[in-house]
Amino acid sequence: MRTESTGKRVLIYGLMLIGLVWLLPYAWMVSTSFKTLPEIVQAPTAPLPSGLSTEAYREVFHSLPLGRYFWNTLLMSVLISVVQIVVALPAGYALSKLGFKGRGVAFGLVVATLLIPAQVRFVPVFALMADWGLVNTMTALVLPFGVSGFGTFLIRQALGNVPNSVVEAARMDGASELYIVFGLLPRMITPTLVAFFMFSFIYHYSDYFWPLVMTTDDQVRTLPLGIALLREQGTGVRWHVVMAGNVLLSMPVLALFAIVQKHLLRAVTSRGV
Amino acid sequence: MKLSRRAWLGGAAALVAPLAGCNEQNVPPGRQLVPFWFSYGGKNRKVLEKLVDRYNQSQSVNWVHAVFQGDYFENLAKLRTAAAAKAVPAVSHVVGEVIPYLAEAGVLEALDGYPGAKDLGLVKALAQAGSWVGGEERPLVALPFNRSTPIAYLNGAWLERHNAQPPKTWDEMIALAKTFTTRKGDQTERWGFECPIDWWFWAALVGQAGGQIIEPNGAVSLGGDAGVKAVRLWRRMVSDEKIMKPPPGRDYSAWEVTNQDFLAERVGMIWTSTAFLKYLEENAKFPVVAAPLPAETRAAVPSGGTFFVMLKSAPEAQKRGGWEFLRWMMLPEQTIEWATSTGYMPVATAAIEQLERDGYYKKHPNDRVAYDQLSVAFAWPWSPHLFRIQREIVQPRLEKIVLSGADPAESLKQASELAQREIPGAGGAG
Amino acid sequence: MNLLRPRRPGDPYWMLLPTLLLLAVFFFYPLGFAFFKSFYQWDLLTEPRYVGFDNYHALVASGDLWSTFATTLIFSLIVVVGAMALGLGLALLLNRSGALAGFLRAAIFSAYVVSWVSVALLWMWVLDSENGALSALVRGLGLKPLDWLGDPNVALYSLAGVTIWKIAGYAMVLYLAGLQDIPESLYEAASLDGAGAWERFKNVTWPLLRPTSAFVGTTSLIASFQVFDVVRVMTQGGPVKSTTVFVYAIYEQIFMNLRVGRASALVVVFFFLLLGLTALQLWGWRDKESSR
Repeated sequence: MRTESTGKRVLIYGLMLIGLVWLLPYAWMVSTSFKTLPEIVQAPTAPLPSGLSTEAYREVFHSLPLGRYFWNTLLMSVLISVVQIVVALPAGYALSKLGFKGRGVAFGLVVATLLIPAQVRFVPVFALMADWGLVNTMTALVLPFGVSGFGTFLIRQALGNVPNSVVEAARMDGASELYIVFGLLPRMITPTLVAFFMFSFIYHYSDYFWPLVMTTDDQVRTLPLGIALLREQGTGVRWHVVMAGNVLLSMPVLALFAIVQKHLLRAVTSRGV
Repeated sequence: MKLSRRAWLGGAAALVAPLAGCNEQNVPPGRQLVPFWFSYGGKNRKVLEKLVDRYNQSQSVNWVHAVFQGDYFENLAKLRTAAAAKAVPAVSHVVGEVIPYLAEAGVLEALDGYPGAKDLGLVKALAQAGSWVGGEERPLVALPFNRSTPIAYLNGAWLERHNAQPPKTWDEMIALAKTFTTRKGDQTERWGFECPIDWWFWAALVGQAGGQIIEPNGAVSLGGDAGVKAVRLWRRMVSDEKIMKPPPGRDYSAWEVTNQDFLAERVGMIWTSTAFLKYLEENAKFPVVAAPLPAETRAAVPSGGTFFVMLKSAPEAQKRGGWEFLRWMMLPEQTIEWATSTGYMPVATAAIEQLERDGYYKKHPNDRVAYDQLSVAFAWPWSPHLFRIQREIVQPRLEKIVLSGADPAESLKQASELAQREIPGAGGAG
Repeated sequence: MNLLRPRRPGDPYWMLLPTLLLLAVFFFYPLGFAFFKSFYQWDLLTEPRYVGFDNYHALVASGDLWSTFATTLIFSLIVVVGAMALGLGLALLLNRSGALAGFLRAAIFSAYVVSWVSVALLWMWVLDSENGALSALVRGLGLKPLDWLGDPNVALYSLAGVTIWKIAGYAMVLYLAGLQDIPESLYEAASLDGAGAWERFKNVTWPLLRPTSAFVGTTSLIASFQVFDVVRVMTQGGPVKSTTVFVYAIYEQIFMNLRVGRASALVVVFFFLLLGLTALQLWGWRDKESSR
């Protein structure tokens, strides 16, 4: 009896130690964000600030058009997720339900996109956007992500599990193919669509690479870029300001994550990322 | 029904506007928008934004819209991106090293034809005329903005404690760094000297050792023996004597750490740009003593910092407005405010005369150090290849020599050969 | 699977049209373009000039290609092994009910959700050689802290550590799902045979998790091959190029050095590397499929 409770105690302490490895950095981030410049310079590792100074937050709000960045990020992430779903629905329907010539090739092409990440595409796409005068526009941020190989794959799988009779019955009732694709079937695979939407939203909300390359000024700059700019000041490291920005960047995602945890985990486990 | 549809369309248009890149800045009616991209944050940014505000208040024709672009390198990357995409701002400022490259690529607007371009009353050593060999004969493309030289900063309290003076020679510098350094076991508690392992400071050392990075005949010697001697000094202070801390990180990360260590009194003497004078003075808990760099066979410093440029492919009306703004920035009143609140050098001759007359330099001897050093500042060659030689060939090797123990003579010889191949333009691919 | 007949023969094609159009413009054209431009010298600002294989030659001759590849490979191997081991360990520890375990699962996975920029900035501060928390901790233990990001022999490992910290939650979640698929009866049978905890792990858990491991391994291998954000924010490829991984090298060539041709050559090489890795991934997936 005694040994088991000791073992249990050891386990709990072990778990708490693990928790600290993941939670302490966040705690330190929050604590640093309430420090002042002299504190940062003189005693950078002090675990707690001497008081709750909002100096750093005021500085962040003053030095970045935060509202605009946030709106840009939100708009971009929602647009990408929506476009991906709207494009993938008919494609997934054709690939999972319809027999036609070239089906295998088309599916192969979609899967092949998993091979071509943004990091391979950005040079030519940038040149293309430059030619079209679209660098530094929302189009340059959204359109190149219009097709998600992962999303098409996921939606095709989900639609494959919907019985053919559902489509046949709808056709009998005189429903158009357009209605079947965008009206009827989405309702049958809502959990998949929600999970994919959230996955895609969170991914693009956090994306740094593409907006870094495709934007040149505040017009469409996104939040991760703006916060990273806090770091690139040139005069002296002002960690309290950087961490205040970091709190503002990560808190919305963490809050969202806390709410939709279960759905998101399903998206991850359904077929990896 | 009709109205609501219109409202809906309006809403959709507002949403879609950023898709097409419509520019909806808050420009007051009747004003000409002048987009201006700037780099550098913190104190410098605050001063610059104040100046831009004042310009916008001072007249009712132009509206300068200042966009922050991170540090020098970030701004430069964005500027080139924008040039390629033909979506440039009218005005920006860039580091001197890349100006020949940008000019030869046809990106920069020639300024000679603008009203008053001939008589801006600039300090020659800081303007295009004196910053590059033959800078005067070329079309004017760059106006001096935040111009600097490297200077030494010393902890005044430590100097007093050790009853020491700022070093005048390399030997004195080593001796002082030794005096400053304290160790506990094998761990250094206080460092004598710190300086980013960066091309700019190496260039200063090369000059002091009597060499030239590019010879008058155009050969990229990288200073020859002087170049080797320069990097050996660092190596000696870092590895042999262990009195110099090489700051981690690259580009401006290293510079920030250097400042930080100085302010936190982990190091007693640093080399960095004049740009940080006010930042260091205001944040240090000890008296900051600025001093000229020491001499070896002679005194020498490179100049550095940025120049204002206008971008050729910007709309004509914006460029005209941009020129008015630049001219205003060159006036003594503005250059004095910029210089005395940051530490950069005032670029107008009249401004320096006025500061002298008002006794400013008597009261703030630190501010004068950089200006006095101008007499030994050397001009850079007008070479479009210089920035690549710096970034791709020399900088990585300097790091390798000091941090990873590569052989100085061998590495620099190799660098010089590579650079030589880069220069004619036919040999290098890219 | 029974397929339906399209109502009109053209239906499947217009349904696929948006997808194929976007694929053509944003995936396949860029690939061809990069291939083409890798034979040119181009700085985006002036006219491109044909230089044959010079770009490839320069990359090989300067040793950049090899060192970039080696750096990326070392980084990826550490990350993959570390993330898998840590993910599995955490999954085994936290595969239990209770509020604490649930909270910890969420906390660990949250690092995977937060942006790379956030994580990079956060850890830069933790890893600051003089002021950082890690150095303070090491000093507190009476040891000499390393220069985590400033020492060319250490920086890459620091970045790998941060990456593991971020993606271990992802591996953990997949392993948890895998563990839950293992029927309890197998453990009971093993216990009846007198197997201890280690033997149960060796003979039951590990073999049955192999498909999951293949999946976690290949996906994190491909992800770590594409690492960029942490490098861009934390070390800019230095010190002494010790953290210049593939994507950062491409970025640096095009935006810092203005060498689009050389960047394109790197893109082409990088693409073929990914092709190889994906073949590996497909193989890993097939393994998982067939064992289900």
